[in-house]
Amino acid sequence: MHAHRPMAPSMRALAAVLAALSAAGCVTVRPQDRATLADPTMRFEGDPQVASQERHAIENREGSYGGSGVSGGGCGCN
Amino acid sequence: MQLTRRSAIAGAAIVGAVLASPAARAQVAEFDTSHTVYYESPFRTNMFVYTPSAALSVTPAEPVDIRAGWEADVVSGASVAVKAGPAYQATHPAADVVTTASVHDFRNVGRGGFTLRKETVSLSGDYAFSTEHDYRSHSLNVAAKTELFDHNTQLEINYARNFDTTCDRVQSTDDAPPRFRALEDSSGCFTSGATRTTHSIGVDGLQGGWTQAWSPVFATQLVYTAQITSGFQSNPYRSVILGEGLKTQEHHPENRAREGLALRGNFFIRPIRAALRLGVRGYWDTWDVKSITGEAEIEKYLSEGLRIDAHGRFYKQSGALFWSDDYTGGDRPLGPRGQYWTGDRELSPFTSILVGLRLTYTITPQRGRLLGLMTSLKLAVHGSAMQFSYDEYTLGGSTIGNARAYLGGLALSAVF
Repeated sequence: MHAHRPMAPSMRALAAVLAALSAAGCVTVRPQDRATLADPTMRFEGDPQVASQERHAIENREGSYGGSGVSGGGCGCN
Repeated sequence: MQLTRRSAIAGAAIVGAVLASPAARAQVAEFDTSHTVYYESPFRTNMFVYTPSAALSVTPAEPVDIRAGWEADVVSGASVAVKAGPAYQATHPAADVVTTASVHDFRNVGRGGFTLRKETVSLSGDYAFSTEHDYRSHSLNVAAKTELFDHNTQLEINYARNFDTTCDRVQSTDDAPPRFRALEDSSGCFTSGATRTTHSIGVDGLQGGWTQAWSPVFATQLVYTAQITSGFQSNPYRSVILGEGLKTQEHHPENRAREGLALRGNFFIRPIRAALRLGVRGYWDTWDVKSITGEAEIEKYLSEGLRIDAHGRFYKQSGALFWSDDYTGGDRPLGPRGQYWTGDRELSPFTSILVGLRLTYTITPQRGRLLGLMTSLKLAVHGSAMQFSYDEYTLGGSTIGNARAYLGGLALSAVF
């Protein structure tokens, strides 16, 4: 008899991310439909210069750091 | 300053070479500059920071980007030098148990980097060196990015390593941390002066990001960040009152592991030509600081080249495990917290709210170039206000009134 051990929370989170990533493979936004995604307003960081200055000021006054984002967008144009 | 001058000369040489070459007309160079001011004047302290920056990136050949930049912080103000809480103030009613000291510093950062691209993969490397009167930092950063599923999925991984050094006062070899005295000022730092020493700080950071286009108007981004900091992490200038006549240098743990997870979503609303950005971020670390951040932003086209952006941010954090507003005792939540002590309001529980506006104007000529040089020119003006609300932090029992900060500036980008 093998006892089934519950999956650790970190493994569950990893499994959820992998499942979502697999689902992403089913999504197709055709290149000709990607113009809006390439628009400057669709960048996650907004205006990168201004966002970086604002983040610099905020991070010096808060006790937490990280997860502020990575560059680029979902348009494959960067 | 020497580094700054060298960076500027190198940058000018690169731009000159790119623009002077007839073959370079199809190539791209981008110059960015920004100027930001920060001001706060809460109860008994104040801080003014001016941050200018300049950056140049060029694409000398299709698969390669090269970039260089400079940034500075010109800091002046007054900060808390000795922190005491309400219990201590209550037993010393005639004395002012909290003191402040003036702060003047000049931080310079020079940076450079490159990106190599091939089809759907890009690799980047960056280096930055920063110097202050009392702090030096070397930072290395490498990143790899790939695109999958017909460019609809982007995966990015990033590793950064900092080799930092901070200045401190030489303590007596017979003393233990409860007897350590704070650094008086930065004079003699990074010299062979007998009263100054240095401590090393190492920072390892790892970040993974997944960006996904789900529809022609909707994309999300999930980012996980982990960071380990080892070394001296206290403010060497700040003292905390631990008991009667015991004014001692702040003492933080030497190791801190941080993790953060952020999820963002961007949605473009075609009928009003506006993008709505929403984000949430959770953070936790081994000092038991936990935080949650919510962000909302809307950016709308007012005309072809003119955009307005309004954004808001809510932030709430818990205090560090060793945080106390008064280590000399009193009713909970006051009293000692083991072997560490701090006077840092950033390690106390608090909430902050930010609201901001940004106006961006971009000129992109339909034919030819602006002034015969630029393919586009962008100017952004921004301003924001932050309100902090401290749950426990006081200065000798007085709550921090007017805990408000203002940030504003200009940013300019020119593409050649």
